[in-house]
Amino acid sequence: MDILIYGIINSVSLALMALGFTLVYGISRLPNFAHGALYVTAGYICWQLLHRLGLPYPLAGLLALAIMALAGAAMYQLILVRVRGMAISEIIASYAIGLAILEGLRWGGLKGATVILPPFATGSVGILGVTVDLQRLLVVLLGALLVGGLWLFVNHTRLGLALKGMAQDERAALTLGIDSDRMAVVAMALGSAFAGAAALVLLPLGNIVVEAGYNVLIMAVAVCIVGGLGSWTGAIMAAFIIGFAQILTVVLLGPHYQVVVAILAIILTLIWRPSGLFGRQKELEERV
Amino acid sequence: MFEARGLMVFYENMLALNNVSLSCGEGQIVGVFGANSAGKSTLMYTLAGIMLDIQKKEAMAGGERITIRGALSFLGRDVMQLKPAKRAEAGIVLCPERRRIFPESSVMENLRIGGYLAKPKEATETLDYVMTIFPALVKLENRLGGFLSGGEQQMLAIGRALMAQPRLLLLDEPLLGLSPAIQYWLAKSILDIRNQRGTSIIVAEQYARPIMPIIDYGYILENGSAVVEGTKEELLDNPDVKAAYFGTN
Repeated sequence: MDILIYGIINSVSLALMALGFTLVYGISRLPNFAHGALYVTAGYICWQLLHRLGLPYPLAGLLALAIMALAGAAMYQLILVRVRGMAISEIIASYAIGLAILEGLRWGGLKGATVILPPFATGSVGILGVTVDLQRLLVVLLGALLVGGLWLFVNHTRLGLALKGMAQDERAALTLGIDSDRMAVVAMALGSAFAGAAALVLLPLGNIVVEAGYNVLIMAVAVCIVGGLGSWTGAIMAAFIIGFAQILTVVLLGPHYQVVVAILAIILTLIWRPSGLFGRQKELEERV
Repeated sequence: MFEARGLMVFYENMLALNNVSLSCGEGQIVGVFGANSAGKSTLMYTLAGIMLDIQKKEAMAGGERITIRGALSFLGRDVMQLKPAKRAEAGIVLCPERRRIFPESSVMENLRIGGYLAKPKEATETLDYVMTIFPALVKLENRLGGFLSGGEQQMLAIGRALMAQPRLLLLDEPLLGLSPAIQYWLAKSILDIRNQRGTSIIVAEQYARPIMPIIDYGYILENGSAVVEGTKEELLDNPDVKAAYFGTN
């Protein structure tokens, strides 16, 4: 029972970490390797707003998300737009931005156990005989909410549908009046806000540390590769596969194998199914 | 209404379009005929502005150097430098070669994505219209675009382009890969669209036979140049055209 409940919690956490990354890649084929840095930055900004400005928690959280969305859009407009279409340069540029942010934060004094976001909810409840603290429950709730909201957005709004079109065929979308650069900005803003949202619910479970940035990036990349790059359903499925595998290793082997599991998942996927579990695009191409 | 003057497109030093001029009046159907590699798609991409996007991408990736020259005016406005999305907004909508249906979206979703530029009221009206002229799509509403047959995909592609509320519809090889019966039926649908909605249409095709009867004016493209032009009757009377496109003398 422990495995089931903590497996679900861990899987949803992974899905949250990966959602922003897969969103940006799915829409504009832009691998945003600054994703982990954005995640940590969101937590840090929220902490600053809480402690320096003394804003109430919900306001600080929302403000942090808005700042992240703007930062993501600015990052695309100012830097990434110049290397569009060159995959290697996109990776190098975004990873460099990520490194600059993370190491900048470290240099600016983000280390040790001093920077902690308080949990929204304290206390715990028993579910099926397992004690779960409320913050972890909140993670699952928010995960479901975000996925549901995203689904509604891409299927039922004009902008969401445009993003979906852009994700499938950029040139066809252009002929219909959908501007690819504008959509990429929207995707980056959304993706960054998602990274921020994940940070705000997950970070209160521990300290805000620079290493979390690298860790989140590895997890996000692992989930996306296993699920099939750019496939949203694939990413969620993969989050559950990796999530449960991690919890199983924690129970059976010890807590140090979480990253090993993620990296192993990448390697195995690349050997057996390079397009990922749900690399549907490729499959379709093969059939037609 | 729409006029292109002296269009030249170079891929590096290769001349893909050589001084092509063409015009399309309000509510006219204009045909552009030519064999493979005559420059039809380059011409359509240039008219729709997609060429600017290809040029930008090539320049960024350090690929071919593409040069575009000439003048384009649409409804009295110079549109030569307008980006493709802005041109679609202005009313020039391309239904691209090989259809480029969104393969992972259903038929209905393809049409709804097409309605990006439409106001809600226009979108509902156009959706109804598309379903009346292409009734086959009604049954396929929930089928994924990638699993449609060629004819169904072409209907969907034209329908999707109509959803973008074109004043000028550019059709690039709409008959490609279709059976002769469907080719004639589709040509008639194109005529219906013009007659019922007053949309001006430029259609590029290598199969002249089904399209020739519906055009008001036509151009023959060869090696990137417009070598012959004229009304339907003039083209049909031209012995070279007859020999090349209708196999008779």
